[in-house]
Amino acid sequence: MNDPYKILGVASSASDDEVKKAYRELVRKYHPDNYHDNPLSDLAQEKMKEVNEAYDAITRMRSGGGGGGTYRPGSGSAGSSGGSAEGQKVRVAINSGDLQYAEQLLKNFPARNAEWNFLMGSLSYRKGWLDDAFSFFQNASNMEPGNSEYRQALTFMSQGGHAYRSHGNGRRPVQGGGCDACDCCTAMLCMNLCCCN
Amino acid sequence: MFGYIRPLQGELKVNEYERFKACYCGLCHALGRKYGFASRLILNYELVFLSMLLWGEDEPVEIKRRRCIASPFCKKRYCVGSRALDACAGYSVILTWWKLRDTVADEPFVKSLPHRFFSLLLLHAYKKAAREHPEFDCRTREGVVSLEAHESRQAASIDAAADKFANILRAAAPESAVESLHRPMSELLYHLGRWIYIMDACDDYTSDAQAGRYNPVLALYLPEEGKLPEGGAARMKTTLDHSNNLVSSAFELMPENPWSQTVRNVIYLGMPDARARVFSGRWPPHRRKITKNGHD
Repeated sequence: MNDPYKILGVASSASDDEVKKAYRELVRKYHPDNYHDNPLSDLAQEKMKEVNEAYDAITRMRSGGGGGGTYRPGSGSAGSSGGSAEGQKVRVAINSGDLQYAEQLLKNFPARNAEWNFLMGSLSYRKGWLDDAFSFFQNASNMEPGNSEYRQALTFMSQGGHAYRSHGNGRRPVQGGGCDACDCCTAMLCMNLCCCN
Repeated sequence: MFGYIRPLQGELKVNEYERFKACYCGLCHALGRKYGFASRLILNYELVFLSMLLWGEDEPVEIKRRRCIASPFCKKRYCVGSRALDACAGYSVILTWWKLRDTVADEPFVKSLPHRFFSLLLLHAYKKAAREHPEFDCRTREGVVSLEAHESRQAASIDAAADKFANILRAAAPESAVESLHRPMSELLYHLGRWIYIMDACDDYTSDAQAGRYNPVLALYLPEEGKLPEGGAARMKTTLDHSNNLVSSAFELMPENPWSQTVRNVIYLGMPDARARVFSGRWPPHRRKITKNGHD
């Protein structure tokens, strides 16, 4: 694989926040919403995959050194309940697109805790129920304020309403799809990343 | 040619603007150097933009200073010839040549005299450019012929007409063994061409309606008080913005080159600005003047 830092367009000395920011920006850029019915959508998907792999690689390298900050489950973020066995099953189900199974698992989930709320939020994203997802992430974040994964999901949501624009002043023509949906889906993709192990 | 494809100057950094101007001068010098003095008269913004797009990833931007006919006393900065500039100089000549031939064929003899004269001046340059870019020459000729045939039929589809023009521009996409390099460029140029064609048609709508000339938008919407009716304008705006969006999404799949920031300015700010101006009757933009109260 190429240098993951080069793919994300950051220096290898970049802070976790900088890496995350660059990653998010690229996810926004290559988001499927921007390439809906586009003949280049396959290329955008490839780019997205490349970006995800690069971010994955960097996160893995850094978490090896005990780095918190990233929102990969099980990477040692304080107080994360993301590691629960039931939770992992749900994550895998959501990630593979088996939403019915994920829903069933969540129905029988042992507790209505922060993790349950977070996973419900992820599932809602996947279904396109965006307002529900926002509420679930809010609940998760309130129940476990120290969990960076939940907080990031919520932040992602509340940043909504902006279409991707590479030129800072917002005069870019906005695609008809609606910005909220765009950002929510972006967040969803990040959630997917959280869900894979 | 049209002048719609230009950066929004106020949003460029000073050094980006300087470099853009140098690229503009660079294309002019490339035209003069390769195809003689007459060809320098055909310099236009569209082809400067194309040069920036086609610029190689690792090709450095080398800027020097020299005097020229437009600035005989003061040396001006210009980009030293590059592969992209040389290619675009050739494309400019071919495009202009076929546009002139088209006008000569269309207009009555007396009215087409200036075009005949200029195409005579350009003949040598055209022959050279056609030798260097036979594929582009061939596709431009085909495009102009099919556009002509389409316009004479006056078919009521803006896309069918724009498609011919868009395909001419698409022909400038360099062939590449790597599909992921060729496809975005080809897509970008197609929508750029489509956008330019429709913009031009909308811009000329009123004058074409008065003069009774063919205009693909006029063929779709009858004028109301000499102007494009609101419904039609809204529809055209939407389709223009759609193409603009497809240009940007294709661009983001292309590798970065030394001009990427300026190209982004054109795509994200310059094109929407031109679109807004054409539809609000503020095209072409006036040059900025410094007044007592600041910028005019």
